[in-house]
Amino acid sequence: MSAAPDPAASSAPPSLARRLLHDRLGLVVLVTLVVVVLAAVLAPLLASYDPGQGGLLDALAGPGGDHLLGTDGVGRDVLARLLFGSRISLLGAALAVVVAVVIGGVSGLVAGYVGGWFDGLGTWGASILMALPGMIVLLAARSVVGPSTWWAMAIFGVILSASVFRLVRGTVQAVRGELYVDAARVAGLSDLRIIFRHVLRVVRAPVIIQVASIASVAITIQAGLEFLGLGDPTVPTWGGMLNDGFKKIYQEPLLVLWPSLMIALVCLALTLVANSLRDALENSASTQPKAPPMDAAARAATVAAAAATAAAADGGTPILRVEGLRIGYGVPGGVSEVVRGVDLEVRAGEVLGLIGESGSGKTQTVFAIMRLLPVGGGIVGGHVLWHGEDLARFSDARMTGLRGRRIAYIPQEPMSNLDPSFTIGHQLVEPMRHHLGLSRKAAHTRALELLARVGIPDPPRTMKAYPHEVSGGMAQRVLIAGAISCEPELLIADEPTTALDVTVQAEILEILRSLQQDLHMGVVLVTHDFGVVADVADRVAVMQEGVVVETGDVREVFRAPQHPYTRQLFDAILTEEDIRPAYALAGAVEEGPR
Amino acid sequence: MLRFLARRVASGLAMLVAISTVAYLLIYLAGTDIARNLLGQNASEEAVAARAAELGLDRPLLERFIDWVSGAVRGDLGTSWFSGAPVTDLVTSRLGVTLSLVVLSTLLVAVIATVVGVLAAVRRGWVDRVLQVVSLVGAAIPNYLVALLLVTILAIQLQWFEPTGYVRPEVSLSGWAMSITLPVVALIISAIAAVAQQVRGSMIDGLRQDYVRTLRSRGLPEWRVIYLHVLRNAAGPALSVLALLFVGLLGGAVVIEQVFAIPGLGSLSVSTTTQGDVPVIMGVVVVVAIIVLIVNLAIDLLQGWLNPKARLS
Amino acid sequence: MRRRLVAAASAALVLGLAACTGGGGSDPTPTADDTQAPGSAESLTIGEISFPASFDVNGYSIAHYVQYFNAVFDTLVRQDGDGEIVPGLATEWAYDEARTTLTLTLRDDVTFTDGTPFNADAVVANVENFQASSTPDLSNAQYISDVTAVDDTHVQFTLSAPDPMLLTWFTGSLGFEASPASLTSPDVATNPVGSGPYVLDADATVIGSTYVFTKNPDYWDDSYVVYDTLTINYYETLTALLNAIQGGQVDVATFQDVTSLDQVEAAGYTLNTSQLDWSGLIFYDRDGTVDEALGDVRVRQAINYAFDRETILDVIQLGHGTATSQTFGEATGGYLPELDSYYDYDPDKARDLLAEAGYGDGLELVMPTMSALNQDLLTAIQQQLADIGITVTLTDTGANFITDLLGGKFTSSWLQLASAKDWQYAQLALVPNATFNMFGNESDDLAPLFTAMQSGTDEEAAAAAQDVNRYLVEEAWFAPFFRIDNFYVSKPGYSVTMAADNVTPYLYLIQPAS
Repeated sequence: MSAAPDPAASSAPPSLARRLLHDRLGLVVLVTLVVVVLAAVLAPLLASYDPGQGGLLDALAGPGGDHLLGTDGVGRDVLARLLFGSRISLLGAALAVVVAVVIGGVSGLVAGYVGGWFDGLGTWGASILMALPGMIVLLAARSVVGPSTWWAMAIFGVILSASVFRLVRGTVQAVRGELYVDAARVAGLSDLRIIFRHVLRVVRAPVIIQVASIASVAITIQAGLEFLGLGDPTVPTWGGMLNDGFKKIYQEPLLVLWPSLMIALVCLALTLVANSLRDALENSASTQPKAPPMDAAARAATVAAAAATAAAADGGTPILRVEGLRIGYGVPGGVSEVVRGVDLEVRAGEVLGLIGESGSGKTQTVFAIMRLLPVGGGIVGGHVLWHGEDLARFSDARMTGLRGRRIAYIPQEPMSNLDPSFTIGHQLVEPMRHHLGLSRKAAHTRALELLARVGIPDPPRTMKAYPHEVSGGMAQRVLIAGAISCEPELLIADEPTTALDVTVQAEILEILRSLQQDLHMGVVLVTHDFGVVADVADRVAVMQEGVVVETGDVREVFRAPQHPYTRQLFDAILTEEDIRPAYALAGAVEEGPR
Repeated sequence: MLRFLARRVASGLAMLVAISTVAYLLIYLAGTDIARNLLGQNASEEAVAARAAELGLDRPLLERFIDWVSGAVRGDLGTSWFSGAPVTDLVTSRLGVTLSLVVLSTLLVAVIATVVGVLAAVRRGWVDRVLQVVSLVGAAIPNYLVALLLVTILAIQLQWFEPTGYVRPEVSLSGWAMSITLPVVALIISAIAAVAQQVRGSMIDGLRQDYVRTLRSRGLPEWRVIYLHVLRNAAGPALSVLALLFVGLLGGAVVIEQVFAIPGLGSLSVSTTTQGDVPVIMGVVVVVAIIVLIVNLAIDLLQGWLNPKARLS
Repeated sequence: MRRRLVAAASAALVLGLAACTGGGGSDPTPTADDTQAPGSAESLTIGEISFPASFDVNGYSIAHYVQYFNAVFDTLVRQDGDGEIVPGLATEWAYDEARTTLTLTLRDDVTFTDGTPFNADAVVANVENFQASSTPDLSNAQYISDVTAVDDTHVQFTLSAPDPMLLTWFTGSLGFEASPASLTSPDVATNPVGSGPYVLDADATVIGSTYVFTKNPDYWDDSYVVYDTLTINYYETLTALLNAIQGGQVDVATFQDVTSLDQVEAAGYTLNTSQLDWSGLIFYDRDGTVDEALGDVRVRQAINYAFDRETILDVIQLGHGTATSQTFGEATGGYLPELDSYYDYDPDKARDLLAEAGYGDGLELVMPTMSALNQDLLTAIQQQLADIGITVTLTDTGANFITDLLGGKFTSSWLQLASAKDWQYAQLALVPNATFNMFGNESDDLAPLFTAMQSGTDEEAAAAAQDVNRYLVEEAWFAPFFRIDNFYVSKPGYSVTMAADNVTPYLYLIQPAS
């Protein structure tokens, strides 16, 4: 809703795999993992010795010569043991992961999709499994099942399944609530088909990421058990080699190095893969689009414009004057402009309606006025003259001082624009104390007055309430109260009534009008509804595809729209002539509208 | 709030019962000949039989379980088969040691990871990337490897720290601090990454929320927006990770305590596992489960306090 | 060669750094404070790798536990460093002709720390308590049919058969004297009351971690130095013990890890050694009841020829031991120097013997293993037997290693057994009902020899033991590899005399260096 418009929205986003491969680090890491797995699989071919074969006479030979990495305490080739040990270590981790995904995935799927008693039981079971440290459970289990690696990893898989269960259940629940799933059910698709087609597709990516993480954990835990000496001593394993090397650390310190490197390498690779996947999925990579810089021409023109404004006298002096504003977003390959030259004016006490359809750039324009463009966006050209000074060039500190105090903002969606963790009272009081330096008590009193002013029936109760405890209409009134709390000169209202019920809309508009008159504020009212414009605005500006196509006094524009687009918009408004005739069945039916 | 508390406690107790029952059945079914292991190779058959009878090993399983349960609810977890000491005493004397290690580590991780995560989320760019790589490398290396490295270099070679031993805080606070520095460092290095990632992710999500723009539009200084508002909202999920972290650190403490010869629950688990001293293993499992349930409860409460919506659910 | 250089280099590095830093770890070079005047000494801190189950009779044992008990209890008699019996609480002892009645003369000037006087009744109470318990060393008293207090200072033991080990047992578990009043006290397991040189400081002691003792001010014996404080620290792993040694946190300690002896010496400690145990294979099923092959002496001998003992000793034990083909230790009467090299390393001869016995195609043996054993040694066994065509499969027994062995589940295994006293060793492994003779092997040749060992004079017993030894080696009842060095490390300020029959010195054998 208020995120940056996606410049690449035309094509479908590339698949997860493609995105991962594009990331250079992800590619290197994947290749490393593949190499390790291949080495383990091809161990008999790669190793020149049998891992159990050796003689005391060859013991503790250093690297080089016959043995690339040297030999251990009984003359066995280290490289061979490392390669064959990879099999055990990787297979053990794989076993844990498979058990975890099968148990956790299936039960999470059922719990999330069907819910009910299974969900409750599963959640409870998962909590128990997550309540105990894995290592301690494995130690206790070892006294029962003995030193077998496979048993230990299978049991660990059961422990890990709890986290997979939670992940899958959460994701499935979220998907289940999506409208398209309901649509699919209405269309008659069987549950199984829905699961396979829709649900699994969404669950796939998070589970893959989870798999990479838990694989890393499984390897670490398995090696840890073996390092403690509790593994199976008859087969080569990384942890066992670590244990052995540690015992001989004074005789041949290098023995500890090789298994350490393997464990660290594989765990690091898995963690990085998980991270790259996560970043690719959520698009939260470190590199984010940078705001494009202002172009040279615009910078030069700033000085000229400042001088020019002094001469401008067109009725009252505009408090805000936007000239040739261009807003762009950084995309691979350059800059994509969403606002391509907008001119606006607002005078004190005047309401300017800014109208246009979705994507026309009107919200971007008002964000730019407040310098609150989303990440990746920036003003690339033009000026935003506030009392003659181009605020596009203001420092952050100066802009912050302006916001809330001189320029205020009312957002579109009331519920998501209040901090859910703080009371309404706190959120009203905080900025007032910051800007106006009021004492807590004075600010509190003032807040109560403001709430009453915007028509809230029980101000003290609302002050103590949390945002989720009030209705949408009340929330919007609170936001309005907050916006005008410091008596700003310019009020920017971004579709303030769109998200509200029709009956409430009228009240909110009434409040806005009365406040505007009382405080003699300039208002920029963004909307897509001509009715609102007709109701409240003095002047109107029509935007289409990033430019203002028509601007003028409301009554004149309504009476005689000039621009073909404006006329198109007016034509689209339903009037009485547009009502269809009543639907007539074969045979006599009653006439008249229903 | 009270109902929420009561419900959580009841759920916790149910879990405890389930864990204890399953653990008891599994462990006692292991069927090791304890009496012989206790008395060693030189003991005679009569001695072995006498000790077995003394330990009650000839009674049916259900009877022994009921005995154990009735003792457990009164705080008596039986006696160690190997040292004859009451399990409750054994476990509680070592519990403090492990807890001091794990709680301190958890707090340090929470603080450091928060700083790191917030910085990474707010600054982005190269700061973010460097922090990610560094903490990932730290996470990839198992904590026992880090511990070995620390002991060898800092304790034995440079002699900045004692290589083993644990000084109780009541004996000497500075001694305690010195003795746990290396173990704590080994424990937290791997853990910081996980929590920092979570904080970073939550902060990034939080910064994208609508209300952040609205707060900024009210002219609040950026530091207030980030630390007072966004961080507060991001803390909820981060606390969940912290709860998991606590459990993970308890497991990590097992190996760390071995390396540093710290007389905590971890080293107790290992030695009793190899010996097959079942009452002590049971005691450790039960006590650890209780600790974890308490910590989870505390974090739930904290999350509830932080997130008003959760208080009602 | 290279690895020794590396070890030496690292040792030099540590030593160099230790000399430079000075602070942190303690300074190992002796100063004036370390040398104490006899009769008074400040403190002794011992590093141990075991701790007793309890301080009551059910926990009595020697080996690694003996110092804990030596601290609080006196024994009826003591041993000097050569294993000779010397007076303790008893000043004289005498057998009758039949060697079935033993009379001890006791001191009359000893009081337990709770005020109870030490006398013959106390001895009787302790012995009867021992016999009625389930203590691990219960078999020590197996031949005692009666014990009586003749008068306050004389105790008489009536034996069902001669017991050459009885006086030795009196220097250990059977000889610990606790106050009779304490034997029935409810906290007897944690609060020992004896007449020994130290008293347990229950407040400072943490069970299973640190045991602190303070000097007994009324101790009757001033013939040796008692420290003001005695601390015994328990270390769960060899790593922890090594770290403690390198940090100078212990004065003396038991130490078994041959690979880090250089580090110990580099930290300034002296290595004191003794040889008590032998390490090697035991063939339990010498009659071939389960494993037919093992019933053939040629197979057993073949196995003896298959091992390169010197190399195993060098690689696994770093040369700390003595290669041998006999199981009687040097301190025993049955030891014969020439038997050390009876079997040399001859794999060809081994294969020939196997073929002769009909196993030229190979043979399979199953042996037990567990995580605490030296895996390298077991692997070496597998390697060297594979060389002559014998496949050894190792089965992990978890915590039941001894149990499974004694239960007869295996026909052969690696083991390390104490062999410092003839009759003790015979009872441990040789006589038909010995602990480690679970298949009950016996022989008409051996039976009269055992009788002589038990009932004969010292010379007769020794001669018989030698005959037994020869028989065992020729009949290949065992396949020993080497006698293993046992270490006890000490700082320069402490003088340690190794015990003749125990891995750790009796407490009275650790004294300040003069």
